[in-house]
Amino acid sequence: MSRTLLVRLSASAIALGCAWVAYTQAPAPQGKQQAKQANNTISKVAEDLYAIIGDGGNSTVYVTSEGVILVDDKFEYDGQDIVDKVKSVTNQPIKYVLNTHLHGDHTGSNERFLPTAEIIAHKNARDNMVKNKAPGVMRVVFTDETDIFLGGKEVRMKWYGRSHTNGDAVVYFPALKILASGDMGANNGPNVDFANGGSMKEWGKTLDEVLKLDFDTVIPGHGPVSKRQYLVDYRDVATKIPVTVTSMVREGKSKDDIAKVFTANGGLWVNPNVVNKLDQIMAELK
Amino acid sequence: MVFLALGGMWVAYTQNPKGKQAPAAQTKAPEPFTLIKIADDLYDIDGGQAGNVAVYITNEGVILVDDKFEQNFDEIMANVKKVTNQPVKYILSTHYHADHSGGNTRWASVAEIISTRNAHDGIVQKKQSNAPEGMVPARVTFTDETDVFLGGKEVRAKYYGRGHTNGDAFVYFPALKVLHTGDMFTSGTPLIDYPGGGSIVEWTKTLDAVMGSLDFDTVIPGHGPVSKKADLLTYRNKAADMRTRVQTLIRQGKNQDDVGKFMTAEYKWAPDSLNMQWSLPGMMTELR
Repeated sequence: MSRTLLVRLSASAIALGCAWVAYTQAPAPQGKQQAKQANNTISKVAEDLYAIIGDGGNSTVYVTSEGVILVDDKFEYDGQDIVDKVKSVTNQPIKYVLNTHLHGDHTGSNERFLPTAEIIAHKNARDNMVKNKAPGVMRVVFTDETDIFLGGKEVRMKWYGRSHTNGDAVVYFPALKILASGDMGANNGPNVDFANGGSMKEWGKTLDEVLKLDFDTVIPGHGPVSKRQYLVDYRDVATKIPVTVTSMVREGKSKDDIAKVFTANGGLWVNPNVVNKLDQIMAELK
Repeated sequence: MVFLALGGMWVAYTQNPKGKQAPAAQTKAPEPFTLIKIADDLYDIDGGQAGNVAVYITNEGVILVDDKFEQNFDEIMANVKKVTNQPVKYILSTHYHADHSGGNTRWASVAEIISTRNAHDGIVQKKQSNAPEGMVPARVTFTDETDVFLGGKEVRAKYYGRGHTNGDAFVYFPALKVLHTGDMFTSGTPLIDYPGGGSIVEWTKTLDAVMGSLDFDTVIPGHGPVSKKADLLTYRNKAADMRTRVQTLIRQGKNQDDVGKFMTAEYKWAPDSLNMQWSLPGMMTELR
């Protein structure tokens, strides 16, 4: 990767990170808005594997001689751009779309792909979509692990437990030692969707299991392509937050006291997704 | 009568170790397939000396369980068309044997085929000694459970443990309380495919897990007539009894020849049958 591209990617990652925070903090971004223009960049991560980074969650593109396997499909208005970006690297059609979880910034183009591709997600992700009356509900779900074999290549999709929601799956490319982590590893720190079964208490344990996989590179749910260490650090914070909150709550400390510790720790601790949900996190961890 | 005849032909198949094609021993025309209605929108296609095919019709397409041999493609298609104009969209495989998954070679370009990971691996690793060349595995696999939602209907394929092989899925139709068992229940005696990871010790435990967790009344066996839950329990108990009797002989010091003769006399296992090839040596080891 050239330095200019790196700089550009980092800059756009920061900009997009902010946009994502804005999105996730305004769960219903409807209302007065202009028709959205897709704004994404495709970059090569490894042989036959690309990341589409920009709007919504990151998409991963795996090219095989029998079709393309896509991980996550961003917002509805990104559908055509995803197709165009894939066409810029292969003539193969998109055959499978693997959704890491239910959220609309990862499943927004499902309706577009449903007639021509098989969309697969964890059973809990589908149940949540049905409950929330979300569009683009998939036909095929799994509970523990599903593996896709296409064009002599293999992709493993596995559920390890609760974290961001109760239906987050990671997608593993064993031949490349690359992992698409979905939002159980996303740039801003743990953002627990309690309404959809997420858990701060379980998050670190779930990542403990994920980290048993042999991978070098992580394509996070949001943010730039990273190394394994990114998810190790993420796990460490996700593990320490419950320990800290539980002990402070039991010591009778106030929410403000806990918030001060979070601020002092900095890093992933102080992102708005953690701080704004402190009441719910304390309720889970008391 | 038809069931008996077809059951007999299946025995002929499984007892013919070189049965790579349709058994050549039979000179008369093959029996036509039988299409049996089990419940609303659910049918069984019996015939072809191959596994029972379940046909579940929805307004968005058809879900099949198993696809028999490659040469049965046209007749399966013709039978589906007798009851619906909907296209076949999904095939859920119960296991990797050619009389249940052999049709994959033709259906893979038509429908999404889904099996357990181990069933996929069994085809790739050519674990079936008498399998035809060029078998095609599923592209989508699962380790525990996969559910398919189509046209407002739901079908669940789930792995409960070893038995016939190490990758047998049970396919459950929750709205109808119907279960397709694959070859974990047939009109014959248990065929334990030890080279394919089967186990007579685990077989009954697996059936116990199925019967303990699923609410069903009707059972489509891998081979043989559509049955009831009580028939599955009877089969399970007979399998346990067979295991106990064999284990007793082995622990009395009987050798493989002795046990083989016993199986022929008591369970009609023919000397050259797949039972003798796949099951007997494995039982001698597992039941020591």
